Amino acid sequence: MAREQIVDLKLEDFGTFVIFTAIYAAGSLGLPKLHLLAYQVTIGEMAAPFVAIFGIPAVFGLTLGQFIANLGFDVAPVAMLSPIVSFAGLIIIYYLRKTSTLGGCIIYILITSLWISYLLPQISNVSTSYAEASAFLEQSLAILVGYVAYLIAKRSIANPNVTSKNH
Amino acid sequence: MIAAATGVAMTGIFLILKGLILYAGILMTLSFVAVIVTFLYSDTKNWSSALSKFGRIPRDAVIGGFPVDISLTIQIIIMTELLLFGGGFAMYFALRVRMGVWPPLGTPILSDTIARVQTLILISSSVLVEWAISKLKQGNQKAFRAGLIGTTILGAMFPILQFGFEWPHLLLDKILTPSTNLFGSTFFLLTGIHGVHVVAGVLAFTYVDIRAFMGQYSPKNHGFVEATSTYWHFVHIIWLFLFALMWQGSRLLI
Repeated sequence: MAREQIVDLKLEDFGTFVIFTAIYAAGSLGLPKLHLLAYQVTIGEMAAPFVAIFGIPAVFGLTLGQFIANLGFDVAPVAMLSPIVSFAGLIIIYYLRKTSTLGGCIIYILITSLWISYLLPQISNVSTSYAEASAFLEQSLAILVGYVAYLIAKRSIANPNVTSKNH
Repeated sequence: MIAAATGVAMTGIFLILKGLILYAGILMTLSFVAVIVTFLYSDTKNWSSALSKFGRIPRDAVIGGFPVDISLTIQIIIMTELLLFGGGFAMYFALRVRMGVWPPLGTPILSDTIARVQTLILISSSVLVEWAISKLKQGNQKAFRAGLIGTTILGAMFPILQFGFEWPHLLLDKILTPSTNLFGSTFFLLTGIHGVHVVAGVLAFTYVDIRAFMGQYSPKNHGFVEATSTYWHFVHIIWLFLFALMWQGSRLLI
């Protein structure tokens, strides 16, 4: 059997990893924040629900993407810990993907909002209550948009013929 | 031969960067490209008989007493590249920490318009090559070839923008040169090394394209395509660091 094994590197995970890194880093550095209602939403955050489809490579990719994005901003050293917090949230989305992706996303929102509301008053002149409210709303909006995109993507993956038939 | 040409090319790039003998530097760099093209041309004649078997070699095969495994080869290449760029970034951070002000006074704020386009190009090419490979696995050769050609074209646009537009603009208009300050030296060194890697990636994809059009890849035989795409993704990820540190980093003031 081993002799019949043909060279197939199974390296597609690296591609997924890099693409998600790029989505977060380039989405944060290269694109302006998206204005939804009165809030600014980081485009990279919208990719978080897709962890449920693309798995661990996406988790590591988004985490590294956030690290790279923070390198490009003039942030306090404590902000460089943000990828670790995001990683914890993304891992929860990954492990809850079979039971409830929405539940994982809600936990992700709570974890990252708590961290941002702790971080913001330290690196800028905003009150804790404002930081809590804006962090929660901005994260919720980003994940909501991402979750809708995730549902659409999941449906098209489950029924790949639907799209082609429509054409 | 290739090693000697690489040495000549590196000397040429050094001369260009130092602004010593611009035309001699360009000539030396072009000579490297000529050697590579000659090598690939002469090699192409034998592809159908010899190199076409390269991608079909079973993982546990032995040729000339040495086991052949492309995954190990690309892992070694990526590790050496990590060391190379890791050293470059270590130098950047060492300078950044030692300098009281970073970027040093006199550093212009770089326009990141071209860099943003280049980032978009690399993201698109990474997605496209993954799509092409997925099509190959489904047995769709036409889509696979189209995806590969698209990736190569997008990849070729990157060095054209870098060496054809951005560098001449920065150097000839004296906005930022290697002798401006340490930021300038680091900028041209790191983006130059990266640019050369992108050119190498484009050459590799051209090689893959030709083999693809010769029908040498199949759903069960695409190790070389995977290896090339892995290299390309690696080059892409290095670019993200460069984009953050060089273009966005020129706006910082620590």
